[in-house]
Amino acid sequence: MALGDCWKSLSWFYYQYLLVTALYMLEPWERTVFNSLLVSVAGMAVYTGYVFMPQHIMAILHYFEVVQ
Amino acid sequence: MARTAANGNLKPHLNQNGLKREDIKRNGYHNKREKDCPGTGVASRQHKQECFEQAPMYVAVMTYLGFGIVTLFGYFRDFLRAVGIEKCHLAQERQEQKDFVPLYQDFENFYTRNLYMRVRDNWNRPICSLPGPVFDVMERVSDDYNWTFRFTGKTLHNVINMGSYNYLGFAENNTDFLKTVADKISQYGVGVCSTRQEIGNLGIHEELEQLVATFLGVESSMTFGMGFATNSMNIPALVGKGCLILSDEVNHTSLILGARLSGATIRVFKHNNMHSLEKLLREAVCSGQPRTHRPWKKILIMVEGIYSMEGSLVRLPEIITLKKKYKAYLFLDEAHSIGAVGPTGRGVTELFNVNPVDVDVMMGTFTKSFGAAGGYIAGKKELVDYLRCQSHSAVYATSLSPPVTEQIIRAMKCIMGNNGSTEGIRRIRQLAENTRYFRARLKEMGFIIYGHEDSPVVPILLYMPGKVVAFAREMLERRIGVVVVGFPATPISEARARFCLSAAHTREMLNKVLHHLNEVGDLLCLKFSRRKHSSRPGLHDETELELSS
Repeated sequence: MALGDCWKSLSWFYYQYLLVTALYMLEPWERTVFNSLLVSVAGMAVYTGYVFMPQHIMAILHYFEVVQ
Repeated sequence: MARTAANGNLKPHLNQNGLKREDIKRNGYHNKREKDCPGTGVASRQHKQECFEQAPMYVAVMTYLGFGIVTLFGYFRDFLRAVGIEKCHLAQERQEQKDFVPLYQDFENFYTRNLYMRVRDNWNRPICSLPGPVFDVMERVSDDYNWTFRFTGKTLHNVINMGSYNYLGFAENNTDFLKTVADKISQYGVGVCSTRQEIGNLGIHEELEQLVATFLGVESSMTFGMGFATNSMNIPALVGKGCLILSDEVNHTSLILGARLSGATIRVFKHNNMHSLEKLLREAVCSGQPRTHRPWKKILIMVEGIYSMEGSLVRLPEIITLKKKYKAYLFLDEAHSIGAVGPTGRGVTELFNVNPVDVDVMMGTFTKSFGAAGGYIAGKKELVDYLRCQSHSAVYATSLSPPVTEQIIRAMKCIMGNNGSTEGIRRIRQLAENTRYFRARLKEMGFIIYGHEDSPVVPILLYMPGKVVAFAREMLERRIGVVVVGFPATPISEARARFCLSAAHTREMLNKVLHHLNEVGDLLCLKFSRRKHSSRPGLHDETELELSS
């Protein structure tokens, strides 16, 4: 039951996303293209963050002289 | 300074912007929220009833984002079509003529090809019944994303009609009411087969013109077969080179076309903004024509009674004052307001208590409130006699068809209350009541509405292109027919759905529409209004005062 509600809620959010970005007017294959582009760019950003976060944090701590 | 309002209550003290002091401390964004909301003053009573609320900033950003994405995909699809991967459904030149001067302007149709075609199932819907308060829509589907349609054979019955200009409900097929029209068809036939100046001047036309002149309270009038042609063909007869036309920003295309055809200089003033108009008038009177500085031959101010895309009313008393001060002429186009506003349906002159003699040229159409076709121009006898000889429409166009003329005559007599019948007054009152109720409920629900409280044209702002399309489709699924308007007819970021109320709508129909609007508004997140409206009648004036400044 909770899963059903969750699915409905996600479905509504996806509908709002389609309306706001005007993907609602495009054909299904165009939506797939746009969504893949968006997911790949977001994925790349997350991966870069994951790879470089430790280095950045060490640099900040070094700047504030918390760690040598 | 304290003023007494229409209902006699003494309004509390207002500061310069018309806001109470507590409101400014409470919410620093007050001034940015509403554009075009003035301060106190005698003339601001109409301002209070006509505020154009601005949507929050994120709405504008998302609208442009949506348009940006669709434009990018438009370029992509054009590229695919040019390369040949995708079949092109539009007209194209023959292979042998590809190097000639292009016949089909490819880039200018970009918007039509890539935006309108995708969603054009929401427009041009075929109707197979009378456009009364409810009508029947033919169902159609498309197999190739709206390039071609086919009818399934099913009809959607009893769809509530919120788009027809049927303000007083005269688009009806009741045989009792239409008896006189049927008689006239047996007497005159249907075609006139001539122009007005040759053999097409029937007795019924003279009768109609007398009736229109009496109805409006002017000396004389002349009628034409088509409303659009009334404007576009008669303005060139009134003004020419060496004259100045001051026209409102959002005037209808027929007025703009007539002004351009006439060859006069056109200057545009901001919508309903008297400061802008006065500035232009002053400059025109002081500097005269552009290079020679000779005085202008004529200055004509062109305004409409109700602006059909905004739903706002013209500021007639102020314009009359300005016109008298600077000795200009006034052309008032009452296409939507004749019959629909005013205590007895005489239009904006009656609503604002202005003497019709003060308006130099009164123009109107019979398409909206009278359920017929055609237009009229009314005013002094000399003006109308001049137009009879000099106007293109009068000389070359076929005159009104007899049954249509009789329909106008019967509608007008009904409104004027001939034979002591109260049907006309009942319809006018019903329309006014429907208008007030509908607008009040919509504001309460939280939609952004433009326009004056008394105007039966109600635009609901939708802003985003995806939502515009989804709105039209959802409402049709719920058996309500609405008209949505987007870019070329409105500014790009202000797409809207336009509701036209009718005296033929009953309270239950309106309640049904409002109920579905509420649902669709929640489903699509359309309730952008940030004003608080109390539903309690006693407090209603209070909140209006606090927020509408």
